[in-house]
Amino acid sequence: MSGLIQLLNSVGLPQEIVIKATFYPIACLILVFALLVVLSRNIFHSALYLAFVLMGVACVYLYLDAEFLAIVQVLIYVGAIVTLFIFTIMLTADINTGPIRGMIRRVLGGAFASLAILFILIRVIARTTWQAAAQNAPAISLEGLGRSLMSKYVLPFEVISLISLAAIVGAIVIGKGQKR
Amino acid sequence: MIPQSHYLALSACLFAIGIFGILTRKNAIGILISIELILNAANINLITFNKFLGSPDGLGQIFALFVIAIAAASAVVGLGLVIAIYRSAKTILVNKMDLMKW
Repeated sequence: MSGLIQLLNSVGLPQEIVIKATFYPIACLILVFALLVVLSRNIFHSALYLAFVLMGVACVYLYLDAEFLAIVQVLIYVGAIVTLFIFTIMLTADINTGPIRGMIRRVLGGAFASLAILFILIRVIARTTWQAAAQNAPAISLEGLGRSLMSKYVLPFEVISLISLAAIVGAIVIGKGQKR
Repeated sequence: MIPQSHYLALSACLFAIGIFGILTRKNAIGILISIELILNAANINLITFNKFLGSPDGLGQIFALFVIAIAAASAVVGLGLVIAIYRSAKTILVNKMDLMKW
C-alpha cells in the first residue's frame, strides 16, 4: 500500500479519492462473486467464482496494510486450495445437482437465517462507536512480522506445523482406501 | 481513509453469504467452499482490528496466518473424506449419506 501511495503522490492524484474509488467497487465485486459461489447450480463454476472472491479479499488485505497476508492469500488459497477443490470436483461425478424436492423451502429457510444474522451484525456494527485512536500507528513491517512469529509466537507456530503434518498424513491415509 | 465499520460490514455480508451457502447446498464440496467464505470473512475482521487497534507485534496478522493454515488443513482433510465417501457410497450429496441414520 505504501508503494501505491508514493505512486499516487508522484502522479498528483488525491490519494483519498483514489482509495475510495477503488475500494468500494472491489467490495461490491467480492459480494457479487460470493453470491455467485453460493447460487450457481454448477459446482465447478462455483469453485471458479471462489477464486475471484479470494483474489478480491487479497486486495482488501492490501488496503489494510497487510501485504504479506495478501501474498499468502493468493499463494495458498488461489494457488493451492482452489486447485484442490477443482481436482476433487473432477474426481467425483455429480457436477450438476438437478432440481431437488423441497429446494424452495430450503432456500427460503437459509435466506431467512442468514439475513437474520446479517441484520444483527450490521445493527451492532452501526451502533458501536469505534475509536479511531491508533489510526496513524505505523503498520508492522514484514521483518517485524517474521520476528514476532519466530520469537513471541513460536509455540503456536510449531503447533500449527504439527497440525499441517497431521493433516497431510490423515489425508493420505483417508484417500488411500482399502488394500486390495 | 475507509472507516473501520465499512470493512466490518463487508466481512459481515461475506459471513452471511457463507452461512446461506452452508444451509442450502446439498453437495458436500459446496459446503466446504462456503466454509472457506466464512473463514475469509473472519480473516478480514482480524486484520481490520489489527490495523485500527494498532497491535505492536502484529498479533492480528499472525492469527490470520494461522487461520489460513487451519483452512488449508481442513480443506485437505475434508476433500479427502469426500473422495473416500464417494468411493464407497457413490454420492457426494449430503442428504444421500444416511448409512448411520437409524
